Amino acid sequence: MTNNRLVIKICGSSGQGINSVGELTAKAIKKLGYKLFGYREYPSLIRGGFASYQIDFSDNTLRSSSKKSDVLISLGRIATHKYLKDLNSSGILIHSLKGMKFEQDEEKFIKENRIKVIFLDAFDMADKLGGKTIIANIILFGLMWKVFAFPIEVVDETVREVFAGNPKYIELDLKAFEAGYNFDLSGVEQIKVPFKKNEKWKNSMIITGNAAVALGSISAGVRAYYSYPMTPSSSILSYHADFYKDTGVLVKQAEDEITAIQMAIGSMFMGTRALVATSGGGFDLMTETISLSGMTETPLVCVIGQRPGPATGLPTWTADGDLNLAIYAGHGEFPRCVIAASDLESVYTLTQRAFDIAEKYQIPVLMLTDKQIAEALFNIDSFPKDSEVKRYLVEGDELKRLISSDRYKFVNNGISSRWLPGSSEATFVANGDEHMEDGSVNEEAVNAKQMMEKRMKKLETLYQELPSPMLYGEETADIVFVGWGSAKAAILDAMDQLKKAKSSQSISYLHFDYIYPLKTEEIMDLSEKARKVVLVENNYSGQLGNLIVQKTGYRFNELLLKYDGRPFFVEDILNYLKKL
Amino acid sequence: MNCSKCIQMFDYYSDNIFTWCTNCGNYGIFSAVKRALVAEEIDPKDALLCFDIGCNGNGSDKISGYRFHGLHGRVLPFAAGASLANRKIKVIAFGGDGGTLSEGINHLVHSVRSNYDFTFILHNNENYGLTTGQASLTTRKGKPMNAAPDGVVVEPMNVMEFILGLKPSFAARAFSGDVKHMTEIIRAGIKHRGFSFIEILQNCTTYNAETPHEWYQERVYDISKLKGYNKADLESAKEVSKDLEENIATGVLYEDEDSVDFYSRLANRKGTQTELVDEVKNYEIGNFLSRFN
Ligand SMILES: Cc1ncc(C[n+]2csc(CCOP(=O)(O)OP(=O)(O)O)c2C)c(N)n1
Repeated sequence: MTNNRLVIKICGSSGQGINSVGELTAKAIKKLGYKLFGYREYPSLIRGGFASYQIDFSDNTLRSSSKKSDVLISLGRIATHKYLKDLNSSGILIHSLKGMKFEQDEEKFIKENRIKVIFLDAFDMADKLGGKTIIANIILFGLMWKVFAFPIEVVDETVREVFAGNPKYIELDLKAFEAGYNFDLSGVEQIKVPFKKNEKWKNSMIITGNAAVALGSISAGVRAYYSYPMTPSSSILSYHADFYKDTGVLVKQAEDEITAIQMAIGSMFMGTRALVATSGGGFDLMTETISLSGMTETPLVCVIGQRPGPATGLPTWTADGDLNLAIYAGHGEFPRCVIAASDLESVYTLTQRAFDIAEKYQIPVLMLTDKQIAEALFNIDSFPKDSEVKRYLVEGDELKRLISSDRYKFVNNGISSRWLPGSSEATFVANGDEHMEDGSVNEEAVNAKQMMEKRMKKLETLYQELPSPMLYGEETADIVFVGWGSAKAAILDAMDQLKKAKSSQSISYLHFDYIYPLKTEEIMDLSEKARKVVLVENNYSGQLGNLIVQKTGYRFNELLLKYDGRPFFVEDILNYLKKL
Repeated sequence: MNCSKCIQMFDYYSDNIFTWCTNCGNYGIFSAVKRALVAEEIDPKDALLCFDIGCNGNGSDKISGYRFHGLHGRVLPFAAGASLANRKIKVIAFGGDGGTLSEGINHLVHSVRSNYDFTFILHNNENYGLTTGQASLTTRKGKPMNAAPDGVVVEPMNVMEFILGLKPSFAARAFSGDVKHMTEIIRAGIKHRGFSFIEILQNCTTYNAETPHEWYQERVYDISKLKGYNKADLESAKEVSKDLEENIATGVLYEDEDSVDFYSRLANRKGTQTELVDEVKNYEIGNFLSRFN
């Protein structure tokens, strides 16, 4: 065990039920009363390749994954070769691969690290139990449960819950579990879990970032969801569709991303709240509409679930490489807001905030997530408080006093009155062509200049209102990390880790949820007080860093960048600190 | 008629001066649109007119009502999203043959198939007017155009045949020189529940000398005058829509009177009295959380 956590990794090839046994494991461990974090790796195909489901658990807050695991359960040869060396020393490999041959270096690794290898012919066992090979995963899970000496009742309860809709599986799965659990473990030392259980986690939820986008949008009064499937955002569409009978939300899988965002801006123009989500490649197709939103001052919200590009890139892996895209997408100059989620709470809250900002300032708001946030399993006991839905529309008698030219009236803060079709006799044209105060086309220089200034004024007004970046720890720490997105989880876990280990190194972290327009006071402050400031980003060029440089001229002391499709693991931060 | 609250042509006027060529077919189309809106007693405040980019779209500020002048080729999905959000507002969308059949043809296919409840008026002037006379998918083969000095080498497309192949719920054709007939057709389109596709054969005085006003006038006939024509029969519509040279059929060529529009097919909206625009407020999510426990 390292890093104050225990780590179970279940691997095999796609189609072997890795996901379902992963979910079962997560649920059962939660029910024991531990705090956990779940992480999936899988290829962009339906059968084959290698896939894994990792659960890190502890007695206290835990936000990220560890690269190394303590128990590796494997149903596949390729996956075994792939993940074996990520076992901690004294780790345990449980596999079901008859005649599994290890390479020479693997044999060496196993010996040097005192890895315990347990073979159980789960496929044969599954066959004998009268089930298909698909229950082999549950058999291995049973054996793992015994390795940890976990109580058996919890599994009974979990299996009954998970398969409530399929009673015939319950019996089979419980038999499979028992078969694995009864395996003779003599000669293997059981793992003693050193953490205390906590009632609080027993009743907590296990939930993905994408579910939180769907729930956040539902709570914020989103009434239409338009999307075209693209990993890692596809499951937002599924969640909305799963809930739609109860929510009444109009859920439409559009013919492409261009359509999805046009339908959304059409619905937003009429006055409902509509959401779209996609990934970078799909967002590329949406950019003309982002520009249209800027020009017509029609609120618009889009979630960009990032994955590594360019092009199709690594479809099922993670990156935070589309910040530039979000900030610069769309032709011409117009105000916008770019925000980035970093964990479950921020996904939920920022989804709500996105609509508030979009409607208040009548601008496009782009919310970045990434595959790690979208699909990881977070463990929380409650959702953050909802922000109140406010509409910022002209109401009541005021509607009668409106004239058409109020719609794009030159006002000091740039935010002219907005009202909805049907609500007032004062009709107007929302025009993608440059226009006058009532929306009518106008190509005069004076008007063009004034209108541009009016629109851009909203960016200044927005800047005043946006929250500052959040500083975790002290400004005067030895090392201050600066970052955004899912890197936060690994950094905060590393900080906890160092504190627990009573390390002499003091570190802190400045995190940006609200990235554009960029708040710079804090970073300027840091540049004077901190000894060493390190930029951490899950991309190649340090996109937030470049934005900061561009705006302030400040240069970071060091960069910690990762761009291999994997999220920041807690070791990435700890090893970096060790090397200093 | 007691007309204290009646909608009049005047209500749809705008102070802005038209910027179309003299004798452009768009004048007739706009006139018919206003007449149809007035005849259907639609208050400008309850109308949303959605415009594509092109000469047609340059009319967006020459008429009243709520209007949205969006992007080239994208008027259909915009109008779809708008009409779904508030069904109390009458939505009419306008686009040219360039934007609709090139940049946005995927939207046309899916709008027909999805049967969104709004009216679409295709201004078919057989060229890209606003960008000064390039060929579109309906330009005649062999005709020299901007960017095709030796003549267009592609056979033109018969739009109506294409639409009818998609099994629309409403397909009509009209001619920009006959305001009275266009008005009737647009009224029928507005009344139809579902996606009302109306192709208007539009003369273009500047870039289309081959088929001017008179050319159409001599060739068009009104399908409703054709004895025994059954507009509920898709195959008949396909048959009469073929001829674009000698006898050109206009009128409502096809209508499915039992058409059920997209929104009305949604299981989770059945029986709901409110519109999506009326439903924006904070919602409790507690009910959805049990599956995550
Ligand atoms: C994305 C994009 N591409 C190209 C243009 C340039 N453009 C403006 S209008 C037009 C064609 C107009 O032809 P059509 O749609 O037939 O309308 P018309 O002018 O004939 O009414 C083009 C290509 C544009 N505005 N946007």
